[in-house]
Amino acid sequence: MERLVQLGADMAKLWDRCGGDYLNGIKNTLILALVATIIGCLIGLVCGILQTIPHTKNDPPVKRFFLALIRAIVRVYVEVFRGTPMVLQAVFVYYGLPYFTNNAVKFDNIWLAAILVVSINTGAYMAESVRGGIISIDPGQTEGAKAIGMTHVQTMTCVILPQAIRNIMPQIGNNFIINVKDSSVMFIISFTEFFAVHRAAVGQTYLYFPSATIEMIGYLTMTLIASFILRWVEKKMDGNSDYELVQEDSLTMTAGTYRHPNTGTPFDEHSKEYRDRVQQELKHGRTRGER
Amino acid sequence: MNDMILEIRHLSKSFGTHEVLRDIDFSVAKGDVTSIIGASGSGKSTLLRCVNLLETPTSGDILYHGESVTDRKVNAAAYRSHVGMVFQSFNLFNNMSVLENCMVGQIKVLKKNKDEARENAMRYLEQVGMAPYINAKPRQISGGQKQRVAIARALAMHPEVLLFDEPTSALDPEMVGEVLSVMRDLAQGGMTMLVVTHEMAFARDVSNHVVYMNQGVICEEGAPADVFGNPQKQETKDFLSRFLSK
Repeated sequence: MERLVQLGADMAKLWDRCGGDYLNGIKNTLILALVATIIGCLIGLVCGILQTIPHTKNDPPVKRFFLALIRAIVRVYVEVFRGTPMVLQAVFVYYGLPYFTNNAVKFDNIWLAAILVVSINTGAYMAESVRGGIISIDPGQTEGAKAIGMTHVQTMTCVILPQAIRNIMPQIGNNFIINVKDSSVMFIISFTEFFAVHRAAVGQTYLYFPSATIEMIGYLTMTLIASFILRWVEKKMDGNSDYELVQEDSLTMTAGTYRHPNTGTPFDEHSKEYRDRVQQELKHGRTRGER
Repeated sequence: MNDMILEIRHLSKSFGTHEVLRDIDFSVAKGDVTSIIGASGSGKSTLLRCVNLLETPTSGDILYHGESVTDRKVNAAAYRSHVGMVFQSFNLFNNMSVLENCMVGQIKVLKKNKDEARENAMRYLEQVGMAPYINAKPRQISGGQKQRVAIARALAMHPEVLLFDEPTSALDPEMVGEVLSVMRDLAQGGMTMLVVTHEMAFARDVSNHVVYMNQGVICEEGAPADVFGNPQKQETKDFLSRFLSK
Protein backbone atom coordinates (compact mmCIF):
# COMPACT_ATOMS: atom_id res chain seq x y z
CA MET A 1 0.00 0.00 0.00
CA GLU A 2 2.81 2.29 1.04
CA ARG A 3 4.53 1.42 -2.21
CA LEU A 4 1.49 2.40 -4.23
CA VAL A 5 1.22 5.72 -2.43
CA GLN A 6 4.91 6.33 -3.07
CA LEU A 7 4.47 5.39 -6.73
CA GLY A 8 1.50 7.74 -7.03
CA ALA A 9 3.45 10.59 -5.46
CA ASP A 10 6.42 10.01 -7.78
CA MET A 11 4.15 9.87 -10.80
CA ALA A 12 2.53 13.15 -9.77
CA LYS A 13 5.99 14.71 -9.36
CA LEU A 14 7.02 13.44 -12.79
CA TRP A 15 3.85 14.67 -14.38
CA ASP A 16 4.35 18.12 -12.86
CA ARG A 17 7.79 18.31 -14.33
CA CYS A 18 7.37 16.54 -17.69
CA GLY A 19 3.59 16.34 -18.22
CA GLY A 20 3.76 18.49 -21.34
CA ASP A 21 6.49 16.28 -22.79
CA TYR A 22 4.44 13.14 -22.21
CA LEU A 23 1.42 14.68 -23.92
CA ASN A 24 3.57 15.81 -26.80
CA GLY A 25 4.98 12.26 -27.06
CA ILE A 26 1.47 10.83 -27.16
CA LYS A 27 0.55 13.28 -29.89
CA ASN A 28 3.59 12.34 -31.98
CA THR A 29 3.04 8.63 -31.47
CA LEU A 30 -0.60 8.88 -32.52
CA ILE A 31 0.14 10.97 -35.60
CA LEU A 32 2.96 8.63 -36.65
CA ALA A 33 0.87 5.50 -36.09
CA LEU A 34 -2.17 6.92 -37.88
CA VAL A 35 -0.38 8.30 -40.93
CA ALA A 36 1.85 5.24 -41.25
CA THR A 37 -1.10 2.86 -40.92
CA ILE A 38 -3.02 4.70 -43.63
CA ILE A 39 -0.05 4.77 -46.01
CA GLY A 40 0.82 1.18 -45.10
CA CYS A 41 -2.74 0.06 -45.87
CA LEU A 42 -2.57 1.76 -49.26
CA ILE A 43 0.72 0.02 -50.01
CA GLY A 44 -0.79 -3.27 -48.84
CA LEU A 45 -3.91 -2.72 -50.92
CA VAL A 46 -1.88 -2.10 -54.08
CA CYS A 47 0.34 -5.13 -53.43
CA GLY A 48 -2.63 -7.34 -52.62
CA ILE A 49 -4.51 -6.27 -55.75
CA LEU A 50 -1.44 -6.75 -57.95
CA GLN A 51 -0.88 -10.23 -56.56
CA THR A 52 -4.44 -11.39 -57.26
CA ILE A 53 -4.67 -10.36 -60.92
CA PRO A 54 -5.94 -13.54 -62.57
CA HIS A 55 -3.70 -15.20 -65.12
CA THR A 56 -4.35 -18.15 -67.41
CA LYS A 57 -2.24 -20.17 -69.77
CA ASN A 58 -4.02 -18.46 -72.66
CA ASP A 59 -2.76 -14.99 -71.79
CA PRO A 60 -0.11 -13.46 -74.04
CA PRO A 61 3.45 -14.18 -72.82
CA VAL A 62 4.21 -10.48 -72.19
CA LYS A 63 1.32 -10.18 -69.79
CA ARG A 64 2.29 -13.39 -68.03
CA PHE A 65 5.89 -12.21 -67.71
CA PHE A 66 4.91 -8.89 -66.14
CA LEU A 67 2.47 -10.53 -63.76
CA ALA A 68 5.14 -13.00 -62.67
CA LEU A 69 7.63 -10.13 -62.22
CA ILE A 70 5.17 -8.12 -60.12
CA ARG A 71 4.41 -11.12 -57.95
CA ALA A 72 8.13 -11.77 -57.44
CA ILE A 73 8.84 -8.16 -56.46
CA VAL A 74 5.93 -8.05 -54.03
CA ARG A 75 7.02 -11.37 -52.57
CA VAL A 76 10.57 -10.14 -51.93
CA TYR A 77 9.28 -6.90 -50.42
CA VAL A 78 6.93 -8.77 -48.09
CA GLU A 79 9.50 -11.32 -46.99
CA VAL A 80 12.28 -8.77 -46.35
CA PHE A 81 10.22 -6.24 -44.41
CA ARG A 82 8.18 -8.79 -42.53
CA GLY A 83 11.26 -10.80 -41.68
CA THR A 84 13.48 -8.08 -40.17
CA PRO A 85 12.97 -6.00 -37.01
CA MET A 86 11.59 -2.53 -37.57
CA VAL A 87 14.31 -1.04 -35.38
CA LEU A 88 16.97 -2.27 -37.82
CA GLN A 89 14.92 -1.11 -40.81
CA ALA A 90 14.89 2.35 -39.22
CA VAL A 91 18.67 2.27 -38.84
CA PHE A 92 19.15 1.11 -42.41
CA VAL A 93 16.87 3.76 -43.85
CA TYR A 94 17.92 6.68 -41.67
CA TYR A 95 21.67 6.05 -41.39
CA GLY A 96 22.18 3.55 -44.20
CA LEU A 97 20.87 5.61 -47.08
CA PRO A 98 23.17 8.62 -46.42
CA TYR A 99 26.05 6.21 -45.79
CA PHE A 100 25.67 4.40 -49.11
CA THR A 101 24.89 7.49 -51.17
CA ASN A 102 27.59 9.73 -49.70
CA ASN A 103 24.97 11.90 -48.06
CA ALA A 104 23.22 12.47 -51.39
CA VAL A 105 20.09 10.93 -49.89
CA LYS A 106 19.47 11.94 -46.32
CA PHE A 107 16.52 12.79 -44.20
CA ASP A 108 16.33 16.41 -43.14
CA ASN A 109 12.99 15.70 -41.60
CA ILE A 110 12.89 13.04 -38.93
CA TRP A 111 9.13 12.68 -39.46
CA LEU A 112 9.65 11.67 -43.06
CA ALA A 113 12.07 8.90 -42.09
CA ALA A 114 9.85 7.61 -39.27
CA ILE A 115 6.69 7.60 -41.39
CA LEU A 116 8.54 5.92 -44.25
CA VAL A 117 9.88 3.10 -42.09
CA VAL A 118 6.63 2.38 -40.27
CA SER A 119 4.61 2.63 -43.52
CA ILE A 120 6.65 0.16 -45.51
CA ASN A 121 6.70 -2.17 -42.54
CA THR A 122 2.92 -2.00 -42.20
CA GLY A 123 2.56 -2.34 -45.97
CA ALA A 124 4.43 -5.64 -45.90
CA TYR A 125 2.01 -7.07 -43.33
CA MET A 126 -1.05 -5.57 -45.01
CA ALA A 127 -0.09 -6.95 -48.44
CA GLU A 128 -0.67 -10.46 -47.13
CA SER A 129 -3.81 -9.47 -45.24
CA VAL A 130 -5.31 -7.86 -48.34
CA ARG A 131 -4.41 -10.86 -50.47
CA GLY A 132 -6.05 -13.10 -47.90
CA GLY A 133 -9.08 -10.81 -47.79
CA ILE A 134 -9.48 -10.94 -51.55
CA ILE A 135 -9.08 -14.69 -51.96
CA SER A 136 -11.43 -15.32 -49.04
CA ILE A 137 -14.35 -13.80 -50.95
CA ASP A 138 -16.56 -16.53 -52.42
CA PRO A 139 -15.59 -17.16 -56.07
CA GLY A 140 -19.33 -17.02 -56.80
CA GLN A 141 -19.16 -13.24 -56.30
CA THR A 142 -16.61 -12.97 -59.10
CA GLU A 143 -18.62 -15.29 -61.33
CA GLY A 144 -21.79 -13.33 -60.68
CA ALA A 145 -20.01 -10.13 -61.70
CA LYS A 146 -18.41 -11.75 -64.75
CA ALA A 147 -21.75 -13.18 -65.83
CA ILE A 148 -23.25 -9.72 -66.18
CA GLY A 149 -20.28 -8.63 -68.25
CA MET A 150 -18.16 -6.79 -65.70
CA THR A 151 -14.42 -6.56 -66.33
CA HIS A 152 -11.83 -7.59 -63.75
CA VAL A 153 -11.33 -3.97 -62.65
CA GLN A 154 -15.08 -3.38 -62.30
CA THR A 155 -15.49 -6.65 -60.42
CA MET A 156 -12.73 -5.67 -58.02
CA THR A 157 -13.85 -2.11 -57.35
CA CYS A 158 -17.60 -2.76 -57.13
CA VAL A 159 -17.88 -6.23 -55.65
CA ILE A 160 -14.72 -7.80 -54.26
CA LEU A 161 -12.82 -4.95 -52.60
CA PRO A 162 -15.75 -3.51 -50.64
CA GLN A 163 -16.28 -6.94 -49.12
CA ALA A 164 -12.57 -7.71 -48.71
CA ILE A 165 -11.87 -4.39 -46.99
CA ARG A 166 -14.72 -4.99 -44.58
CA ASN A 167 -13.22 -8.38 -43.78
CA ILE A 168 -9.72 -7.02 -43.19
CA MET A 169 -10.89 -4.15 -40.96
CA PRO A 170 -9.87 -6.12 -37.84
CA GLN A 171 -6.41 -6.53 -39.41
CA ILE A 172 -6.16 -2.81 -40.10
CA GLY A 173 -7.07 -2.16 -36.48
CA ASN A 174 -4.51 -4.71 -35.40
CA ASN A 175 -1.83 -2.97 -37.39
CA PHE A 176 -2.75 0.43 -36.02
CA ILE A 177 -2.47 -0.83 -32.46
CA ILE A 178 0.82 -2.56 -33.23
CA ASN A 179 2.08 0.69 -34.76
CA VAL A 180 1.09 2.70 -31.68
CA LYS A 181 3.22 0.39 -29.57
CA ASP A 182 6.03 -0.51 -31.96
CA SER A 183 6.69 3.03 -33.12
CA SER A 184 8.52 3.18 -29.76
CA VAL A 185 11.57 1.75 -31.52
CA MET A 186 11.81 4.98 -33.47
CA PHE A 187 13.79 6.42 -30.52
CA ILE A 188 16.75 4.84 -32.35
CA ILE A 189 16.59 7.62 -34.93
CA SER A 190 15.84 10.19 -32.18
CA PHE A 191 12.17 10.54 -33.04
CA THR A 192 10.48 12.00 -29.95
CA GLU A 193 7.50 9.75 -29.61
CA PHE A 194 5.93 8.63 -26.33
CA PHE A 195 8.64 6.17 -25.37
CA ALA A 196 11.48 8.58 -26.14
CA VAL A 197 9.89 10.97 -23.64
CA HIS A 198 10.18 8.24 -21.01
CA ARG A 199 13.91 7.91 -21.64
CA ALA A 200 14.37 11.66 -21.43
CA ALA A 201 12.28 11.96 -18.25
CA VAL A 202 14.19 9.11 -16.56
CA GLY A 203 17.46 10.77 -17.53
CA GLN A 204 16.38 13.95 -15.73
CA THR A 205 14.67 12.50 -12.66
CA TYR A 206 15.89 8.91 -12.20
CA LEU A 207 12.26 7.98 -11.48
CA TYR A 208 12.42 4.92 -13.71
CA PHE A 209 9.51 2.84 -12.51
CA PRO A 210 6.98 5.68 -12.04
CA SER A 211 7.72 6.87 -15.56
CA ALA A 212 7.27 3.35 -16.92
CA THR A 213 3.91 3.21 -15.17
CA ILE A 214 2.84 6.43 -16.85
CA GLU A 215 3.94 4.90 -20.15
CA MET A 216 1.94 1.74 -19.52
CA ILE A 217 -1.19 3.69 -18.70
CA GLY A 218 -0.63 5.98 -21.68
CA TYR A 219 -0.19 3.16 -24.20
CA LEU A 220 -3.11 1.17 -22.83
CA THR A 221 -5.36 4.22 -22.99
CA MET A 222 -4.39 4.89 -26.61
CA THR A 223 -4.92 1.30 -27.71
CA LEU A 224 -8.20 0.89 -25.84
CA ILE A 225 -9.62 4.03 -27.43
CA ALA A 226 -8.39 2.81 -30.82
CA SER A 227 -10.06 -0.60 -30.35
CA PHE A 228 -13.29 1.07 -29.34
CA ILE A 229 -13.30 3.37 -32.36
CA LEU A 230 -12.49 0.48 -34.70
CA ARG A 231 -15.36 -1.61 -33.39
CA TRP A 232 -17.65 1.33 -33.95
CA VAL A 233 -16.39 1.78 -37.52
CA GLU A 234 -16.90 -1.93 -38.24
CA LYS A 235 -20.44 -1.72 -36.95
CA LYS A 236 -21.10 1.30 -39.17
CA MET A 237 -19.72 -0.58 -42.17
CA ASP A 238 -22.02 -3.52 -41.54
CA GLY A 239 -24.99 -1.20 -41.93
CA ASN A 240 -28.44 -1.65 -40.55
CA SER A 241 -29.57 -5.17 -39.84
CA ASP A 242 -33.18 -4.19 -40.53
CA TYR A 243 -34.74 -3.15 -43.78
CA GLU A 244 -37.97 -1.49 -44.72
CA LEU A 245 -40.37 -3.03 -47.16
CA VAL A 246 -41.28 -0.64 -49.92
CA GLN A 247 -44.94 -0.80 -50.74
CA GLU A 248 -46.98 1.50 -52.86
CA ASP A 249 -50.17 -0.29 -51.96
CA SER A 250 -50.34 -0.36 -48.20
CA LEU A 251 -52.99 -3.08 -48.25
CA THR A 252 -50.59 -5.60 -49.75
CA MET A 253 -49.14 -7.30 -46.75
CA THR A 254 -46.35 -9.71 -47.50
CA ALA A 255 -44.85 -12.35 -45.28
CA GLY A 256 -42.26 -10.91 -42.97
CA THR A 257 -43.92 -7.56 -42.35
CA TYR A 258 -45.20 -8.47 -38.94
CA ARG A 259 -42.92 -7.18 -36.26
CA HIS A 260 -41.45 -9.16 -33.45
CA PRO A 261 -44.08 -9.90 -30.75
CA ASN A 262 -42.07 -8.13 -28.06
CA THR A 263 -42.10 -4.83 -29.92
CA GLY A 264 -45.61 -5.16 -31.30
CA THR A 265 -47.28 -2.85 -33.78
CA PRO A 266 -49.35 0.24 -32.99
CA PHE A 267 -52.47 -1.82 -33.71
CA ASP A 268 -51.53 -4.67 -31.49
CA GLU A 269 -53.65 -4.78 -28.32
CA HIS A 270 -50.55 -5.51 -26.24
CA SER A 271 -48.75 -2.39 -27.36
CA LYS A 272 -48.54 0.71 -25.26
CA GLU A 273 -49.84 2.97 -28.02
CA TYR A 274 -52.93 0.84 -28.42
CA ARG A 275 -53.70 0.82 -24.73
CA ASP A 276 -53.19 4.58 -24.48
CA ARG A 277 -55.47 5.15 -27.42
CA VAL A 278 -58.17 2.92 -25.99
CA GLN A 279 -57.96 4.73 -22.68
CA GLN A 280 -58.25 8.08 -24.43
CA GLU A 281 -61.24 6.85 -26.39
CA LEU A 282 -62.96 5.56 -23.30
CA LYS A 283 -62.41 8.88 -21.57
CA HIS A 284 -63.32 11.25 -24.37
CA GLY A 285 -65.27 9.12 -26.78
CA ARG A 286 -64.27 8.62 -30.39
CA THR A 287 -64.06 11.70 -32.52
CA ARG A 288 -66.00 11.56 -35.73
CA GLY A 289 -64.03 10.74 -38.81
CA GLU A 290 -61.53 8.66 -36.96
CA ARG A 291 -61.58 4.97 -37.28
CA MET B 1 -29.68 -20.37 -90.45
CA ASN B 2 -29.44 -16.81 -89.30
CA ASP B 3 -31.84 -16.91 -86.40
CA MET B 4 -29.51 -19.11 -84.38
CA ILE B 5 -28.32 -17.20 -81.34
CA LEU B 6 -25.92 -19.83 -80.08
CA GLU B 7 -24.32 -22.71 -81.91
CA ILE B 8 -22.13 -25.11 -79.99
CA ARG B 9 -19.75 -26.95 -82.32
CA HIS B 10 -17.81 -30.06 -81.34
CA LEU B 11 -17.22 -28.66 -77.89
CA SER B 12 -14.90 -30.61 -75.58
CA LYS B 13 -13.63 -29.80 -72.14
CA SER B 14 -11.10 -31.64 -70.01
CA PHE B 15 -9.86 -30.94 -66.53
CA GLY B 16 -6.40 -32.44 -66.69
CA THR B 17 -6.84 -35.98 -67.98
CA HIS B 18 -10.48 -36.07 -66.99
CA GLU B 19 -12.67 -35.48 -70.01
CA VAL B 20 -15.88 -33.82 -68.87
CA LEU B 21 -17.43 -32.92 -72.21
CA ARG B 22 -16.95 -34.72 -75.51
CA ASP B 23 -17.95 -33.38 -78.90
CA ILE B 24 -21.04 -31.48 -77.85
CA ASP B 25 -23.06 -30.15 -80.76
CA PHE B 26 -26.31 -28.23 -80.54
CA SER B 27 -27.90 -24.89 -81.31
CA VAL B 28 -30.22 -22.45 -79.64
CA ALA B 29 -32.59 -20.42 -81.81
CA LYS B 30 -34.37 -17.25 -80.78
CA GLY B 31 -37.28 -18.03 -78.46
CA ASP B 32 -36.10 -21.55 -77.76
CA VAL B 33 -36.42 -22.92 -74.27
CA THR B 34 -33.90 -25.73 -74.11
CA SER B 35 -33.66 -27.94 -71.05
CA ILE B 36 -30.51 -29.92 -70.40
CA ILE B 37 -31.18 -32.92 -68.20
CA GLY B 38 -28.99 -35.74 -67.00
CA ALA B 39 -27.48 -37.30 -63.92
CA SER B 40 -25.13 -35.38 -61.65
CA GLY B 41 -21.62 -35.33 -63.04
CA SER B 42 -22.75 -35.75 -66.62
CA GLY B 43 -21.23 -32.38 -67.55
CA LYS B 44 -24.40 -30.29 -67.78
CA SER B 45 -23.16 -27.44 -65.62
CA THR B 46 -19.72 -27.46 -67.23
CA LEU B 47 -21.39 -27.15 -70.62
CA LEU B 48 -23.35 -24.13 -69.45
CA ARG B 49 -20.26 -22.56 -67.91
CA CYS B 50 -18.41 -23.10 -71.17
CA VAL B 51 -21.20 -21.36 -73.06
CA ASN B 52 -20.71 -18.32 -70.80
CA LEU B 53 -16.90 -18.65 -71.04
CA LEU B 54 -16.60 -19.10 -67.29
CA GLU B 55 -14.70 -22.21 -68.32
CA THR B 56 -12.44 -22.19 -71.35
CA PRO B 57 -13.35 -25.02 -73.73
CA THR B 58 -10.48 -27.36 -74.54
CA SER B 59 -11.54 -27.65 -78.15
CA GLY B 60 -14.49 -26.89 -80.35
CA ASP B 61 -16.25 -23.64 -80.93
CA ILE B 62 -19.12 -21.54 -79.68
CA LEU B 63 -20.77 -19.26 -82.20
CA TYR B 64 -22.81 -16.27 -81.08
CA HIS B 65 -24.83 -15.03 -84.05
CA GLY B 66 -22.42 -16.92 -86.26
CA GLU B 67 -19.31 -15.33 -84.70
CA SER B 68 -16.86 -17.40 -82.72
CA VAL B 69 -16.44 -16.26 -79.11
CA THR B 70 -13.73 -18.71 -78.06
CA ASP B 71 -11.02 -16.74 -79.82
CA ARG B 72 -8.56 -15.01 -77.50
CA LYS B 73 -9.19 -11.65 -79.16
CA VAL B 74 -12.91 -11.73 -78.38
CA ASN B 75 -13.89 -9.50 -75.48
CA ALA B 76 -15.37 -12.04 -73.12
CA ALA B 77 -16.92 -9.38 -70.87
CA ALA B 78 -18.80 -7.80 -73.79
CA TYR B 79 -20.08 -11.21 -74.91
CA ARG B 80 -21.18 -12.14 -71.40
CA SER B 81 -23.22 -8.95 -71.13
CA HIS B 82 -25.47 -10.36 -73.90
CA VAL B 83 -25.77 -13.76 -72.26
CA GLY B 84 -27.33 -13.68 -68.80
CA MET B 85 -26.64 -16.37 -66.27
CA VAL B 86 -28.47 -17.51 -63.16
CA PHE B 87 -26.47 -19.66 -60.77
CA GLN B 88 -27.38 -22.48 -58.45
CA SER B 89 -25.89 -20.54 -55.54
CA PHE B 90 -27.47 -17.19 -56.59
CA ASN B 91 -24.18 -15.26 -56.41
CA LEU B 92 -25.87 -12.00 -55.50
CA PHE B 93 -23.41 -9.29 -54.50
CA ASN B 94 -23.39 -9.40 -50.71
CA ASN B 95 -22.24 -5.80 -50.33
CA MET B 96 -25.23 -4.37 -52.18
CA SER B 97 -28.95 -4.10 -51.63
CA VAL B 98 -31.40 -5.94 -53.86
CA LEU B 99 -31.91 -2.83 -55.98
CA GLU B 100 -28.19 -2.09 -56.29
CA ASN B 101 -27.60 -5.69 -57.36
CA CYS B 102 -29.90 -5.10 -60.30
CA MET B 103 -28.48 -1.66 -61.11
CA VAL B 104 -24.71 -2.11 -60.94
CA GLY B 105 -24.37 -4.02 -64.21
CA GLN B 106 -26.50 -1.54 -66.09
CA ILE B 107 -24.49 1.39 -64.77
CA LYS B 108 -21.00 -0.12 -65.10
CA VAL B 109 -21.39 -2.29 -68.18
CA LEU B 110 -24.23 -0.73 -70.18
CA LYS B 111 -23.24 2.80 -69.01
CA LYS B 112 -26.82 3.76 -68.24
CA ASN B 113 -27.47 6.64 -65.89
CA LYS B 114 -28.75 5.99 -62.40
CA ASP B 115 -32.39 6.94 -62.92
CA GLU B 116 -32.70 4.87 -66.05
CA ALA B 117 -31.04 1.90 -64.37
CA ARG B 118 -33.27 2.19 -61.33
CA GLU B 119 -36.43 2.36 -63.41
CA ASN B 120 -35.37 -0.63 -65.46
CA ALA B 121 -34.34 -2.61 -62.38
CA MET B 122 -37.65 -1.85 -60.71
CA ARG B 123 -39.55 -3.13 -63.72
CA TYR B 124 -37.87 -6.52 -63.53
CA LEU B 125 -37.98 -6.69 -59.76
CA GLU B 126 -41.71 -6.13 -59.98
CA GLN B 127 -41.94 -8.84 -62.60
CA VAL B 128 -40.34 -11.36 -60.25
CA GLY B 129 -42.33 -10.04 -57.27
CA MET B 130 -39.37 -8.65 -55.36
CA ALA B 131 -40.15 -4.94 -55.63
CA PRO B 132 -41.01 -4.57 -51.92
CA TYR B 133 -37.58 -5.87 -50.93
CA ILE B 134 -35.37 -3.45 -52.83
CA ASN B 135 -33.69 -2.17 -49.66
CA ALA B 136 -32.88 -5.60 -48.27
CA LYS B 137 -29.40 -7.09 -48.38
CA PRO B 138 -29.02 -10.59 -49.84
CA ARG B 139 -28.32 -12.06 -46.39
CA GLN B 140 -31.73 -10.89 -45.21
CA ILE B 141 -33.91 -12.67 -47.76
CA SER B 142 -34.75 -16.31 -48.39
CA GLY B 143 -33.23 -18.57 -51.03
CA GLY B 144 -36.21 -18.38 -53.34
CA GLN B 145 -36.24 -14.61 -53.04
CA LYS B 146 -32.50 -14.46 -53.76
CA GLN B 147 -32.95 -16.51 -56.88
CA ARG B 148 -35.78 -14.28 -58.08
CA VAL B 149 -33.54 -11.24 -57.54
CA ALA B 150 -30.76 -13.02 -59.44
CA ILE B 151 -33.16 -13.55 -62.34
CA ALA B 152 -34.14 -9.87 -62.24
CA ARG B 153 -30.46 -8.89 -62.17
CA ALA B 154 -29.81 -10.98 -65.27
CA LEU B 155 -32.94 -9.65 -67.04
CA ALA B 156 -32.03 -6.03 -66.30
CA MET B 157 -29.06 -6.43 -68.66
CA HIS B 158 -31.50 -7.19 -71.51
CA PRO B 159 -29.72 -10.42 -72.40
CA GLU B 160 -30.51 -12.17 -75.61
CA VAL B 161 -30.37 -15.55 -74.01
CA LEU B 162 -30.57 -16.51 -70.36
CA LEU B 163 -28.63 -19.47 -68.96
CA PHE B 164 -29.92 -21.19 -65.83
CA ASP B 165 -27.52 -23.44 -63.95
CA GLU B 166 -29.72 -25.63 -61.75
CA PRO B 167 -31.60 -22.59 -60.45
CA THR B 168 -33.73 -24.53 -57.99
CA SER B 169 -31.27 -27.14 -56.72
CA ALA B 170 -30.15 -25.13 -53.69
CA LEU B 171 -33.67 -24.23 -52.63
CA ASP B 172 -35.99 -25.65 -50.01
CA PRO B 173 -38.85 -27.58 -51.64
CA GLU B 174 -41.44 -24.92 -50.84
CA MET B 175 -39.39 -22.25 -52.60
CA VAL B 176 -38.85 -24.16 -55.81
CA GLY B 177 -42.33 -23.28 -57.03
CA GLU B 178 -41.91 -19.51 -56.87
CA VAL B 179 -38.72 -19.63 -58.94
CA LEU B 180 -40.13 -22.07 -61.48
CA SER B 181 -43.22 -19.94 -61.94
CA VAL B 182 -41.05 -16.90 -62.68
CA MET B 183 -39.13 -18.98 -65.22
CA ARG B 184 -42.35 -20.27 -66.75
CA ASP B 185 -43.58 -16.69 -67.18
CA LEU B 186 -40.32 -15.75 -68.84
CA ALA B 187 -40.55 -18.67 -71.25
CA GLN B 188 -44.10 -17.71 -72.16
CA GLY B 189 -42.93 -14.14 -72.70
CA GLY B 190 -40.65 -15.38 -75.46
CA MET B 191 -37.31 -15.30 -73.61
CA THR B 192 -34.63 -17.54 -75.08
CA MET B 193 -33.53 -19.84 -72.30
CA LEU B 194 -31.01 -22.60 -71.78
CA VAL B 195 -31.83 -24.41 -68.56
CA VAL B 196 -29.84 -27.07 -66.75
CA THR B 197 -32.36 -28.64 -64.43
CA HIS B 198 -33.44 -31.60 -62.39
CA GLU B 199 -37.07 -30.43 -62.56
CA MET B 200 -38.43 -32.92 -65.06
CA ALA B 201 -41.91 -31.41 -65.01
CA PHE B 202 -40.45 -28.07 -66.02
CA ALA B 203 -38.36 -29.65 -68.77
CA ARG B 204 -41.36 -31.53 -70.09
CA ASP B 205 -44.00 -28.81 -69.88
CA VAL B 206 -42.16 -25.55 -70.47
CA SER B 207 -39.27 -26.25 -72.81
CA ASN B 208 -39.58 -26.92 -76.51
CA HIS B 209 -36.30 -28.78 -76.74
CA VAL B 210 -34.77 -31.29 -74.35
CA VAL B 211 -31.16 -32.43 -74.31
CA TYR B 212 -30.31 -35.52 -72.30
CA MET B 213 -26.64 -35.73 -71.37
CA ASN B 214 -24.85 -38.79 -70.14
CA GLN B 215 -21.14 -39.01 -69.26
CA GLY B 216 -20.12 -35.92 -71.14
CA VAL B 217 -21.95 -36.53 -74.39
CA ILE B 218 -25.38 -35.70 -75.70
CA CYS B 219 -27.17 -39.01 -75.53
CA GLU B 220 -30.50 -37.97 -76.90
CA GLU B 221 -32.25 -34.75 -77.81
CA GLY B 222 -35.51 -33.65 -79.29
CA ALA B 223 -38.95 -32.33 -78.49
CA PRO B 224 -39.99 -32.97 -74.89
CA ALA B 225 -42.88 -35.12 -76.00
CA ASP B 226 -40.49 -37.43 -77.85
CA VAL B 227 -37.73 -37.58 -75.26
CA PHE B 228 -40.09 -38.08 -72.34
CA GLY B 229 -42.83 -39.97 -74.17
CA ASN B 230 -40.82 -42.18 -76.42
CA PRO B 231 -37.13 -42.29 -75.48
CA GLN B 232 -35.00 -44.14 -78.01
CA LYS B 233 -31.87 -44.93 -76.03
CA GLN B 234 -31.69 -47.35 -73.14
CA GLU B 235 -29.73 -44.81 -70.99
CA THR B 236 -32.49 -42.25 -71.43
CA LYS B 237 -35.14 -44.79 -70.50
CA ASP B 238 -33.22 -45.77 -67.36
CA PHE B 239 -32.62 -42.17 -66.35
CA LEU B 240 -36.22 -41.15 -66.87
CA SER B 241 -37.65 -44.16 -65.10
CA ARG B 242 -35.40 -43.42 -62.14
CA PHE B 243 -36.56 -39.83 -62.05
CA LEU B 244 -40.22 -40.21 -62.85
CA SER B 245 -40.77 -43.03 -60.39
CA LYS B 246 -39.85 -40.66 -57.55
